[in-house]
Amino acid sequence: MTATTYQAGEIQGLIEIDASKCKGCDACKKFCPTQAIVGASGAAHSIVKDRCLSCGQCMINCPFGAIKETHSALDRVIRKLADKDTTVVGIIAPAVRVAIGEEFGLGTGELVTGKLYGAMNKAGFKIFDCNFAADLTIMEEGSEFIHRLHATVKGEEHAGALPQFTSCCPAWVRYLEGNFPSLLPHLSTAKSPQQMAGTVAKTYGAKVYDMEPEKIFTIAVMPCTAKKVEASRPEFNSAWHYNHEHGAHAAEYPDVDAVLTTREMAQLLKLLKIDLATTPAYDGDSLFAQYTGAGTIFGTTGGVMEAALRTAHKVLTDTEMAKLDLEPVRGLEGVKEADVTLFDKQLGQEVTVKVAVVHDMGNNIEPILRDVAAGTSPYHFIEVMNCAGGCVNGGGQPVQGTGSSWIGNIG
Amino acid sequence: MTKKTHLFAEDSFFLSRRKFMAVGAAFVAAMAIPVGWFANKLARRNDYIKARSAGLYQDDAIAKVRVSHRNPAIEKYYSDFGGEPLGHISHELLHTHFVDRTKLS
Repeated sequence: MTATTYQAGEIQGLIEIDASKCKGCDACKKFCPTQAIVGASGAAHSIVKDRCLSCGQCMINCPFGAIKETHSALDRVIRKLADKDTTVVGIIAPAVRVAIGEEFGLGTGELVTGKLYGAMNKAGFKIFDCNFAADLTIMEEGSEFIHRLHATVKGEEHAGALPQFTSCCPAWVRYLEGNFPSLLPHLSTAKSPQQMAGTVAKTYGAKVYDMEPEKIFTIAVMPCTAKKVEASRPEFNSAWHYNHEHGAHAAEYPDVDAVLTTREMAQLLKLLKIDLATTPAYDGDSLFAQYTGAGTIFGTTGGVMEAALRTAHKVLTDTEMAKLDLEPVRGLEGVKEADVTLFDKQLGQEVTVKVAVVHDMGNNIEPILRDVAAGTSPYHFIEVMNCAGGCVNGGGQPVQGTGSSWIGNIG
Repeated sequence: MTKKTHLFAEDSFFLSRRKFMAVGAAFVAAMAIPVGWFANKLARRNDYIKARSAGLYQDDAIAKVRVSHRNPAIEKYYSDFGGEPLGHISHELLHTHFVDRTKLS
């Protein structure tokens, strides 16, 4: 067999270029983090699927609308919504709530959480806010960071590697797995919020919803195309394993059954004739719709780090951060950094935690990784997101007018 | 050895049919993108990224609880079911392992 960068069962070649529409203008190449797009200027381009991270940046930036996704779960989702024997759980990512309104004539960036809950509830979804899972991610990833920090300071033998990288962004995880596998010990072992949400929905959630896990169909609504590939990773069937060990006999099922992008969710609501813009706000139907400010900022660059430090500060010092807004990690600079000095009660000494935040990964990550590999990185904790600006600008978000809108003018 | 000083100039003006096609295609591709498209694209991208981020920071600012460890639903999850962060169930359900993708076959 020839070498591949995919595990058996994973979605391959998610992003494809339509040769009949491609003008060979090279615009896409400027947005590709891994130089996966090949073809001479003027000739139709194509994507080398083993290099492709499925981030969709080329797609949302193609001036000719020539790039498309090959996998859509829309039909399956419609069938499951119609099936009375199935509970359909919609897992809503943070960045969806500030973008989906654009597809219904609302302003860019308008926060529509309540309306989105309402529209999805009307469509037949149970609401599982991925922000709840983001909060859960902070508990796990933050605890892991504190564990690694303390073990390193105490000089313990099997202290986890520092700096610790965040592991929420599937394009970033795939990039590291394929290009710098020697640095994998630095990656947090916490699953992404999407995968935590799917697993929790089919274990603890089955108790909360009071039903058989195999009758729960989890659909993640994501600003991201790479999340489809992440959900298809064969190891993400922890809920099935857990339920199996506790006496269930159902056939194997994944933690996340299907992923819809923000665009596809808008398409679904339109097919069902639900106008999000005029839908009354709804509060959600279970504890899984409860989330915090820390959970919601996961959708933008710097958000994971800000959320993690808020909790790390509380755990290390036993007091809440005096000022929760962490300005240095906000904004669109390619690499942002911050220092937090605090008195660590458990160690009984002052500790300065140095963190970095990287986005627009293709342009900014390599120097950081070279330092980490050389052991000269000054940081303890590094957040990485592939897309410029983070998930708010993900490949699954509504495409802003610079797509194919002007092409009519030049015939 | 001949000393043809004009050799370089002659060469640079000679285009094979193949080369001519390539140059022509590159020209057509460049023409297909309107002047300033890229700069314009990046400027517009900044605008909508900033607007969407502002929406999320607004969601944070209006939230009743702003730190993950005080989310009552998270507390309930751990006390009813999950135990504690990094505990046994967390290890089983909420953590994963990574794959060296250079060694797959």
